[in-house]
Amino acid sequence: MGVVSMEAPEIAATVRAGQFVNLGLAGVFLRRPFSVYRVDGDCIEVVLKAVGVGTAGLLSMLPGDLVSCLGPLGAGFDLTAGPRTAVLVSGGVGVAPMPLAAREARALGMRVTWVHGARSSEELCSEADGDVVIWATDDGSRGFAGTAVDAAPDGDVVLACGPNRMLAAAAERWPEAQVAVETYMGCGTGVCLGCAVPLKRGGYDRACKEGPIYRAADIDWVTLPAHLPYAITA
Amino acid sequence: MTVDMGLAVGGLKLRGPVLAASGTFGYGTEVPLLERRALGGMVSKGILLRPRAGTPPPRIVETPSGMLNAIGLQGPGVDALIRDYAPLWASWDFPVLVNINAESVAEYGELTARLDGVPGVAGFEINISCPNVEQGGLYFGNDPRAAAAVTEAVRKRTRLPVWVKLTPMVTEIGGIARAVESAGADALCAVNTFVGMSIDLNANKPRLSFRTGGLSGPAIRPLAVHLAHQAARAVRIPVIGVGGIMRAEDALEFLVAGCTAVQVGTATFVNPRAIAEIHDGIAAYLELRGYSSLADLPRYLARD
Repeated sequence: MGVVSMEAPEIAATVRAGQFVNLGLAGVFLRRPFSVYRVDGDCIEVVLKAVGVGTAGLLSMLPGDLVSCLGPLGAGFDLTAGPRTAVLVSGGVGVAPMPLAAREARALGMRVTWVHGARSSEELCSEADGDVVIWATDDGSRGFAGTAVDAAPDGDVVLACGPNRMLAAAAERWPEAQVAVETYMGCGTGVCLGCAVPLKRGGYDRACKEGPIYRAADIDWVTLPAHLPYAITA
Repeated sequence: MTVDMGLAVGGLKLRGPVLAASGTFGYGTEVPLLERRALGGMVSKGILLRPRAGTPPPRIVETPSGMLNAIGLQGPGVDALIRDYAPLWASWDFPVLVNINAESVAEYGELTARLDGVPGVAGFEINISCPNVEQGGLYFGNDPRAAAAVTEAVRKRTRLPVWVKLTPMVTEIGGIARAVESAGADALCAVNTFVGMSIDLNANKPRLSFRTGGLSGPAIRPLAVHLAHQAARAVRIPVIGVGGIMRAEDALEFLVAGCTAVQVGTATFVNPRAIAEIHDGIAAYLELRGYSSLADLPRYLARD
């Protein structure tokens, strides 16, 4: 996993946890969405794994290079004062929206438990900003042996981000959790209707506009596809 | 010197030759006002008589220099369009055409009758790339008689401009173009997306849940320029070129090939300012060449 920092003062000033930016990358046609990972002054950061030419190119950019960045897009997590404990549950690159979520939750006076999982310790992100931090790995190489969902305690507010399969498991346990879903995305601005999220009540809405954060119980998890890279995977 | 970018096309006066293509600009409410200043006009997301949920995801997939989409005409239906969007359009300073879709000739006529006279509706773009349920699902757009029947049904119910968006999935586009011209179309839009397919080698099945999708983007541009040119040679009514336009030069190719105006679609997904940049780029080009208006642009258009 790598982190890319971009000077984007307007986005840095207004972005909320769970919102994303749509980046124009060399070698691919459509923009690619990335949750804003951290904000530092005028700079925003995204976190990513190289899965294709676009992401590989982004990770190999040098200081001073320019990237076309559209945002902030989507609706963020709904954090309001009141609840006392927030549990952040993330898997793999799903860690992306959590540092900002932790910051916002703490600013509202919440006690933050950060649970982060990955397949193995090498794939774990090192970022952890919580009053309590719990690590989980599928192979047991660090922390709890099992998934982040299994490792997490309950809380007044649960925020989750990761593979859709993991989010479906989170939805079983916490129907009221706020989950950040992954979808294929076209425009990011609400016009193409490509990022359809199937809803339990029927029909679809747009991950880029009404989402990407949803109440876990509202999503039709059977119809929401796993989000796979285009590259052939083992 | 200021270049005159205004023009009249298919019964409408436009302030510029670049329109937003159907399905790429929603109902006009998503793209910020800032980006609309150079918009010649807008074609709404395709509408049906009744609401439709659309196809399950995945609905889009990137392909070399383009994308496939199978949205499935997701939309709120004509009543909601009239209630929620047309009143906004009535106050806008560019015309909005409604892209209409149906599964029978009678339904196209009914949809037109519902929209005709609604303030904010400046004209119609008929999507003839719909399956004709009464004819076993054959596409209206592949058959000159069916395409003409749809055009005539719409024509009978409105005096507003009627544009027909041609499908590229035909053996001879000139024949279809002449058929809808004879049936009363005011202009043609050439062309809609090409039908394509992409396979996920991890799952050994199509990437799109609908199996196939419409291919758009620069991948189709030379094909679209050719078909728009063929259509323009075949008819006297104006042809609006559409297909893979990303930059002003691309739009100029369609114009020189015989088109009166252009539509920009997929480019807006990649660059929300694409339409304004293309409009400005065309104006700059005309000025550089010393042309005072769009009409001065040389056209390569040997007629059949």
